[in-house]
Parts: sequence; structure tokens; C-alpha cells
Amino acid sequence: MASIFKETQSIKEAVAFINAIDVNKFSRLISRIIQKLHLKGERILSEDEELKLQAALSLEKPALTLVLETVSFILEQAVYHNVKPASLQQQLEAVHVSPEKAEVFTQTWATAGPELVDKLRQTVFAPKKLEHIGWQLNLQMAQSSQAKLKDPSAVLQLGLRAEDSEAQENIFVEFSHQELLEFYNKLEIVQGQLDSLT
Amino acid sequence: MSSHQTKESSFLGGRIPPEVESMSRYLKDASLTLDQDMFRKILKALASSIEGRDCREVMRRIAESSVIPEEKLSHIVAGMYRVLTEAIRIPTSSLKQEAFKEDLRELRIPEDFITDFASVVFGSRRAALEAVTSERDPHLPTLDELRWRVDVTISTSSLARALQPSVLMQIKLSDGSLQQFEVPVSKFQELRYNVALILKEMNDLEKKSVLKIQD
Repeated sequence: MASIFKETQSIKEAVAFINAIDVNKFSRLISRIIQKLHLKGERILSEDEELKLQAALSLEKPALTLVLETVSFILEQAVYHNVKPASLQQQLEAVHVSPEKAEVFTQTWATAGPELVDKLRQTVFAPKKLEHIGWQLNLQMAQSSQAKLKDPSAVLQLGLRAEDSEAQENIFVEFSHQELLEFYNKLEIVQGQLDSLT
Repeated sequence: MSSHQTKESSFLGGRIPPEVESMSRYLKDASLTLDQDMFRKILKALASSIEGRDCREVMRRIAESSVIPEEKLSHIVAGMYRVLTEAIRIPTSSLKQEAFKEDLRELRIPEDFITDFASVVFGSRRAALEAVTSERDPHLPTLDELRWRVDVTISTSSLARALQPSVLMQIKLSDGSLQQFEVPVSKFQELRYNVALILKEMNDLEKKSVLKIQD
């Protein structure tokens, strides 16, 4: 397959630094990065962690930043094209990443990669997403305007979460038996559409 | 031993509401000259009012055109309103027309007026009256409209080949609110399963013998 990254100047520099890092430390670093990759806009490492890392790897801040960005970039490209581990290894070696580091890269990718791809597949642009479904079945016995009812009614709770927020917004909808049946029939139509896709 | 045929308490309850008591007193009072025409006008206005229409103007005109002193008239109107609302509350399967009329006869309300009452409570307007009063009771929003879309995401900025189906739903609720949200396929299955489960439970509930008892 076509190479997913070119050997630019900055890649060359980053590779030089990467090759110099102790292999165990590098392994932990990559694992950490790949965990946080799906969270757009969030820092991979906190300020504190970056400082500690600079000391541990004996890298100056600009160098560390370059390494972090480059590793992230390589992984993002790997995800985008969904490359196979073997292919990734080849391409890393093509830009002169040392074999032992390439091995670490590939191992991490093989284990954590598929999960990351899946996670990103689920991310769709939508104002809100349905996260939680709850319900309650009630038997209404009476109300101000009517005595002696025996009406079953269901309350459906839909928990929605906006893309960039932690808070869940709850919507409560009440259904009579007939209304719920109509709702279900609509869901069946949607299911029919989903089935026709596979 | 003779057995008493004890009648169940009136549809108005164990204790007759005070406004109904005073209404029946004034209706029997011949000196008040409440003719049937006027009675029917009031009845019609009250039925409209229960349906939610503003009847202050109509009531004002009735009050002005009547020789009955205002205070007594207001008792009559209050009593009539109470009779109507209490009767409409009880489903027609429980309170039959004859029983309703009997209860009013016990209060010694003139027969003509009883017939007029019955024509409102058991007439064609009944369904509309019930629908309007039921709406005013507290309830959570119901589903007005559901619109949906099934999408397949081909690729995104993160993935060249995503090929992920998803469902987009827009629901409009009876309280006017509009919500649009995406439903991942797995969540959609969960939703469908849960709705089917509730329907099954509703069916089971409705079959239970305790609900079949007529009261």
C-alpha cells in the first residue's frame, strides 16, 4: 500500500530522538498516546506529566513536543488508513525507525489499534447522542378529571449527551398502549432499513 | 327479615356538596321562576366552559336578563357546574344514565331539569368534554411526531473507510419541544427491545383478572 507518511525533515528529526529513547520507556509512552488519541482537542499529557517525561527521557521541551506530535501523527495515519501491523512496521523502518522501536510501535498498534478504529467509527457528528434508555410502566387509576381508570401507561426516559459535554440531558415521554404500539411500528420500519444495508 | 335494598351512594359522593344542596333548594323554589329556557342557556354555557371556552360574556348576559337575584343565581350556577363535572368524571360504564337520574331525583330536582342534565352528560358532547378535561391533568409530554433518517458514514476525517450506519431521530413532544439526536445502532436495538418488552408487560397487565372487575 502507499506509504502513509513521508520522510519529511521534521520526521527525520523526530525519528532520531525516538531511536535514542530507552525502549521500555518508549513502549509506555506509545501506549499512553494511543489511549488518548480518540479524544480530539485534549492534551495527551498534562503539563506536569510532560515535565516529568522531559526529565525521564532527557529531552528538552521542543524535542519532546516533536516526538509526541510525530508519534501521534503516525498513529492517526495508521488509524485513518487502517493499516495492517506488518505494513506499519515496514513503513516505519522505511523512515529509519530502529527495528526495536518499530517492533514496539507495531505491537502496540496490533493490540490497541482495532479498538481505537472501532471507537472512532462510532464517533459521528451529531448535536446529541442517545446514551441511556430507561422506562417505567404505570397503571393509572385516576386523575382530577377522571375516576376509575385502569389505564396502563409507560414513561420512557431517553438520556441524551451532547458531543462536547459531560452532562446528560433527560427527556421523559409518556405513552398510552396505543401510542406505544405506534411508536414500535415506526421503530420496526427503521429496523427494516437497517437490515437492508447488510 | 326484610332485606334493605341499600342503594350505593350518589355519584356526588357520600356527602352532597354544599353548592349542589343550595342549587337544588333554589331550583325547587317556584317563586324564583327559573324557566327551562334560562336553565338550558346556563347549561349550554357551562358545557362550553368545561370544554375550555371563555363564557364570562355569556354568563354576564344571562345574569343581566334574569330577574333572579345575583347571589341565588350564582349558587345555582355553581351547583349545576358541580353536578356536570362530577358526573363526567365517572366513566359511563360505571355511572349509567338511570342511576344518574335517580341520584338527582333524590335531591328532588325537577324532572325537566334532570332530563336536560342527562342530555349533556350522556349526549354526543360527552367525548369532547372528557377529552378536554383530561388534557388539563398533569402528565408528562407525549410524542407528537417522530421523524428519522438512516445514514451510513462512508468516511470521516479520522477514518478513510468508516462504513458505519447510524440512525438520526427527531422527536417533537406535546409540550412543544423538539429534540434531535443520533442513535447508534446498538442503542437503537436496545430501544427497540425495551419498547417491545414494555408492550409485552402492558399486555400481561391488561389480561390480569383484577383489571377486568367492573366497578
